[in-house]
Amino acid sequence: MLMLRLAFRNIFRQKRRSLLTFLTILFGFVLSSLVIGMTFGTFNGVVNTFTRTNLGHIQIHEKDYLDRPALYRTVDDIPRISRLLGSLPEVEAWAPRCYAAGLASLGDRTSGVQVIGIDPERENGASRFNKKIKEGRLFRPDSYREVILGTGLAKYLKARLGDEVVIVSQAADGSIANDAYRLVGLLESGSVESDRVAFYMPIKSAQELFALDGRAHEIIIVARRLDQVDALAGRITAGLQNPGLSAQTWKEYARSFYQYMMRDRRSHRTMTYIILMIVAIGVLNTILMSVLERRREYGLLKAVGTKPRHIFALILLEANILALLAVAAGSVLALALNGYLAVHGFRYAQEFTFGGMQLSRAYSAVNVDTFAIPAATVLVFTSLVAFFPAWKASRLDPARTMRLH
Amino acid sequence: MNMFLKLAWRNIMRNKRRTIIAGTAIGIGLAAMIFMDAVMIGFTNDTIRSVTGQFLGEGQIQAAGFRDDMEPSLTIRGLDGVVADLKNDARVDRFTLRILTQGMLTSSAGVNAVLVVGVEPETEVYLSQIDDVLIRGDFFKGSSEREIVIGSKLAELLEVDVGDRLVLTVPHAAGAELSQEMFRVSGIYSFNLKEMDGGQAFIRLAKAQGLLGLNGRVHQIVLAFKNKMTGQTESDPFWGKYSRDGNEALGWVKLQPQMKSILDLMQFALVFMALILFILVSIGIVNTLFMSIYERVFEFGVMRAVGTRPFGVWRLIVFEAGCLAVLSIGLGLVLGSVITLIFTRLGINYHGVEFGKTAINIVYPVFDLRQFLVYPLFVLIFTILSGIYPAFHGARLVPAKALRRTM
Amino acid sequence: MKNIPHRFLPLVLIALVLPTCPWAGPLLSVPPPASPAAQGNPAGLFADAGPQAAQSSPASSARQDERVQKIIRAIDEMYRSRTSHARMEMVVVTPQWERTLTLEAWTQGLDKTFVRILQPKKERGVATLRLKNEMWNYLPNTNKVIKIPPSMMMGSWMGSDFTNDDLVKEYNLKDDYTVTLTVPPEAEAGLLYLECRPRPGLPVVWDLVLVAVRAVDDLPVWQKFFDEKGKLMRTMNFRDIRAFGSKKIPSVMELIPQKKEGQKTTVRFLDIEFDVKLADDVFTMRNLSRPL
Repeated sequence: MLMLRLAFRNIFRQKRRSLLTFLTILFGFVLSSLVIGMTFGTFNGVVNTFTRTNLGHIQIHEKDYLDRPALYRTVDDIPRISRLLGSLPEVEAWAPRCYAAGLASLGDRTSGVQVIGIDPERENGASRFNKKIKEGRLFRPDSYREVILGTGLAKYLKARLGDEVVIVSQAADGSIANDAYRLVGLLESGSVESDRVAFYMPIKSAQELFALDGRAHEIIIVARRLDQVDALAGRITAGLQNPGLSAQTWKEYARSFYQYMMRDRRSHRTMTYIILMIVAIGVLNTILMSVLERRREYGLLKAVGTKPRHIFALILLEANILALLAVAAGSVLALALNGYLAVHGFRYAQEFTFGGMQLSRAYSAVNVDTFAIPAATVLVFTSLVAFFPAWKASRLDPARTMRLH
Repeated sequence: MNMFLKLAWRNIMRNKRRTIIAGTAIGIGLAAMIFMDAVMIGFTNDTIRSVTGQFLGEGQIQAAGFRDDMEPSLTIRGLDGVVADLKNDARVDRFTLRILTQGMLTSSAGVNAVLVVGVEPETEVYLSQIDDVLIRGDFFKGSSEREIVIGSKLAELLEVDVGDRLVLTVPHAAGAELSQEMFRVSGIYSFNLKEMDGGQAFIRLAKAQGLLGLNGRVHQIVLAFKNKMTGQTESDPFWGKYSRDGNEALGWVKLQPQMKSILDLMQFALVFMALILFILVSIGIVNTLFMSIYERVFEFGVMRAVGTRPFGVWRLIVFEAGCLAVLSIGLGLVLGSVITLIFTRLGINYHGVEFGKTAINIVYPVFDLRQFLVYPLFVLIFTILSGIYPAFHGARLVPAKALRRTM
Repeated sequence: MKNIPHRFLPLVLIALVLPTCPWAGPLLSVPPPASPAAQGNPAGLFADAGPQAAQSSPASSARQDERVQKIIRAIDEMYRSRTSHARMEMVVVTPQWERTLTLEAWTQGLDKTFVRILQPKKERGVATLRLKNEMWNYLPNTNKVIKIPPSMMMGSWMGSDFTNDDLVKEYNLKDDYTVTLTVPPEAEAGLLYLECRPRPGLPVVWDLVLVAVRAVDDLPVWQKFFDEKGKLMRTMNFRDIRAFGSKKIPSVMELIPQKKEGQKTTVRFLDIEFDVKLADDVFTMRNLSRPL
C-alpha cells in the first residue's frame, strides 16, 4: 500500500494546503448538515405545534362526516375504540368530541353556535385545552351545566362569567334540544372564526342534550412522534375493523395547513439545494486548486518514472482521504451541534404564539439526512472534481511542467 | 501606487487558469447570494399571496364594527371620498368594492347557507383568485345581472351545474325584510379547499346592492399595494389615513393574526439559511484567496529578492485580491442576473403535492436593489479583507527560504 | 387552525332546522301549486273524464280559459282567510327518526302567526310568534324567550320538508304563473290537469308544476314539482276532504321530497276555523310565555 502511505505523507507534508482544504470541506459539511437539521426541526416544530394544540395527528370520524357533517353521522362504541387506542403504544393521547349546531341566547342576543362536547381531562392531554382558557376556568369534573365560550362569541352575546346561556337546537331523535348553562370560562383558540361560534360543554351534557346516547362525532389522537403518524393511522384503521369509520391523518383533514407546510418545505428545499451547491463549488474549487498548483510536483514524479496511473490514483487518493477525514470530523461536529440544538434549541428573537401554544425555541433534528446528504454531496463531488485534473496530470509531459512556475 | 495596481492586474491576468478558477468560485458565490435572495423574496411573496391573494386581499377598509357581525346596514362612510382618495393614492396598486351578506341558496336539490359577495368583476379579478381557478363557465363575462358564481363543493351540494337555476334569499339591510331572486350559475370555481369552495357565492355588486337596498353603498374595499410590506406594517401611515370617520382600515396581519406568526416563522428560517450561505461564501472566498497566495510563495520570494519591500508585496497581494474581487463580482452579477432572470420567466414549480391549480403555485424570484449593491459590496470588502492575512505572510517571506521552495 | 368552516354562521342556519320556526303557512296564502280550493263547482265544463283534445274553436277555448281561471282562484283561495285558528298534527319521517307533533296555530292576515306545540310532552308549551319578519320562540324548558334574527328564518319549518318559502310566499297562481289545462299521458278519469309555469324571473327553483284536481269539485289531488331539466323534485299529495265551517278542503297534506330517501312530512288538520274573531293579545310576547 505504497500509494496510501504516499498519499498520507503528501497530505501531512503540505500542512497549510491540506488544512485549508480540510477546513473548507469540514465547514461545508457541518453547515449544510446544520441547515438540513434546522429546517427539519423547525418544520416538525410548527407541525407539532398545530397538531398538538388543535388538530391532532389523526382523527376518526364516520366515513362521510367530514364531507357532509350531520348530527347522525356518529362514531359509536367509544369504549371499544378506547381499548384499541389504549393498546397502541404510539398513541400519546386521545379525546372524543361531539359537535352540533345550535342557537345560543343570552338576554336579547342570539347567535348561531357550534356546540362542542369535550372530555376535559382527555382534551387537556390531547390539545392542551386548559392552556387556551383566557379567563375563568375549566369545567369541574362532576359538573353538568358548566360551559366555556369562545371569546368572540362571549363578546357578541355580551356574556360574562356566571351568566346563564340558553341553547336551542334539534336533537338526534328530531326533538327540540333545549337547556340552560352557566358560563365558567372564556377560550381563545387562535382562530378568530372559530372563537366566534365555539360553545364548549362536557361531552356527557352534549350527548344528553342531543340525544346521542353515548356516541360522538370525532376522536382526535396525538401520536408520540410525527413520523409515526402515517403508520399509526394504518394500524388504527386495521384495529377499528369498521368500514363505516375512517381514520385520517392531519394531512388529509387539515389540508390547507398541510399545503402551507408543503409550500414552506419547498422553499427550504430550494434554499438547501443552493447551499449544497455552494458547498460543492467550494469542494470543487479547493480540490481543483490544490491539484493544479502541484503540477510541477507531478511532473517531477513522472520524470523519475512514476507511472501515469499511479499519479492518477495518488491524486484521487489524496483528495478522497482529505474529504473522508473532513466528513468524519464534520460528522462528529455536526452531531454535537445538531444534537445540542435538537434538545435545547435556541431562542427565537420573538416568541410566536398560536392558539394557546407558544413557540419560543427553534430546534434542530438529528437523522440520517443530516449526515447522508452533506456526506454524499462532498464525497461525490470530491471524486468528480479530482478526476479530470488527475487524469490530465497523469498525462503531463514532465519536461514541460517542470519548466513551469 | 499606480504601478502596483497595474502589476496586480497583470499578475491576475497572467495566470489565467488560477484566476478563472478563483474568480469563478467567488463569482458563483455572489450569484448564489443574488439568486437566493431573489428566491427568498419570491417565497415570502408567495406565502403572503396565498394568504391574501385568494380572497382576503392585503388590506381592507370597512365601517368600524362591520367585522363583528356583518350588520348589513354598516356600510363604508363617505364612500365617494374614500374611493377618490384611493385612486390618487400612489401606494395603492389596485382595489375593489364588495358587498357581503349572509344568505341562503336554494336549488332543486337542497338548501345551503352561504356568504354572498357582491363584486365588480373588472376590479375583483385583480384582488382575488376566483377567476383563476374556474373549472366551468366564466367569471361574469356575460351581461346578465342574474349571474352567480359558486364553488365546486357548493355546486356539488346543491347538485347544480353551469346554467342551472338557484334562488338566493338575503335579508334586506333596512328592517327585517327578506329579498329573494332567481339566479343562474354562470361559473364554478375550485380551490380544492372545502372552506373556500363550499361557503361563498358571488354575484354582481349592483345586483347585491339592489337586493339589500344599499344602492351606492358598499361594505368593504379590498386593497392590493405596490409595496407588499404595507399589509404587514401596522404602523404604516396608510392605515391611519383611512381609519377615520367611522371607517377602519386594516392590513391582513390584523385580519389574520395567526398568519402573521406563521409568516414570521418562515422569515426566520429563511434568514437563517441566508446567513449560512453567507458564511459558506465567505469561507469559500477565504479559502480561494489563501490558496492562491500560498501557492505563489516562489513568485513572491523572487519579488522580495529583487528588492521589493515587504509593504510592496503586501500591497500587491491586496490589490490582486481587489482585482480578483472586481472580476468575480462582474461574473457573479452576470451569472446571478441570468439565472434569476430565467426563473423569473419559468418560475419554480413543484408538482405532486395535491395543489389545486398549478397556476397559483409557481414561485417567481424577485430582483431587488440590495442584491446588486449590498452583496457585491460585501464580496468586494470581504475578498480584500481575506487577502490581508495571507498578504502579511507574503510580505514577511524570507527570500532565501522562499526561493528554495521549488515545489 | 381547526377545520371549522370559515363562515360557520350561515352553515348553522341550514343545520339548525329551527324546530320552533313555524310560519303557520298552510293557513295563509299557500305556494302556487299548493292547496286546491273547493269552490264547489259541481258542474265543471269538462267534468267528464276522457282525453281532452286541444280545443280549436274560440268558444271552447274561452270556456277552457274560464275553467282554468276558476280552478286557479279556488286554489289560491283555499287556505286563505283574514284570520284563522287551527289544530293540526304533523308527522315528520326521516331516515334517522320519526316524530309526531300536535300544534295549535292562530293567524291574522299574512303578517301575524302564533303557533304552540301541544304534543309530545317533552316539547309541550314551545311557542313561536311571528310578526311580519320578526320572530320569537318560547322554550318552557328553560323559561326563556329567544328572538330569532331574520337571517335565520330561512330554513325548514319545524324540521319538516316544508320550507318557509312554502308557507309564506306571496306568489300565487293567478299573478305569477302561466296556467294551462293539459292532458298528461297517464291521465286518470275524473281528474283535470294544470300545467303551471312560473313567469320569467320568478325566484322559484322549479320550472313546472303539474297540478291534478278533481273535476268534480276542483280540489287538488296532487301537485308535482319539476326542475328545469324535467326531473321530479317533490310531490305534494292531498287527501281526506273534510268540511271546516263553510270550506270543504283536503285535511291532509303530504310532502314527499323526491331526492331524499325515506323522508316525508304529513300535515293533518284536525280542526280549522276561518275568519274567527281572535283575542287582542294572541299575537303578543305575553302570550308566548303563558303557561298551558
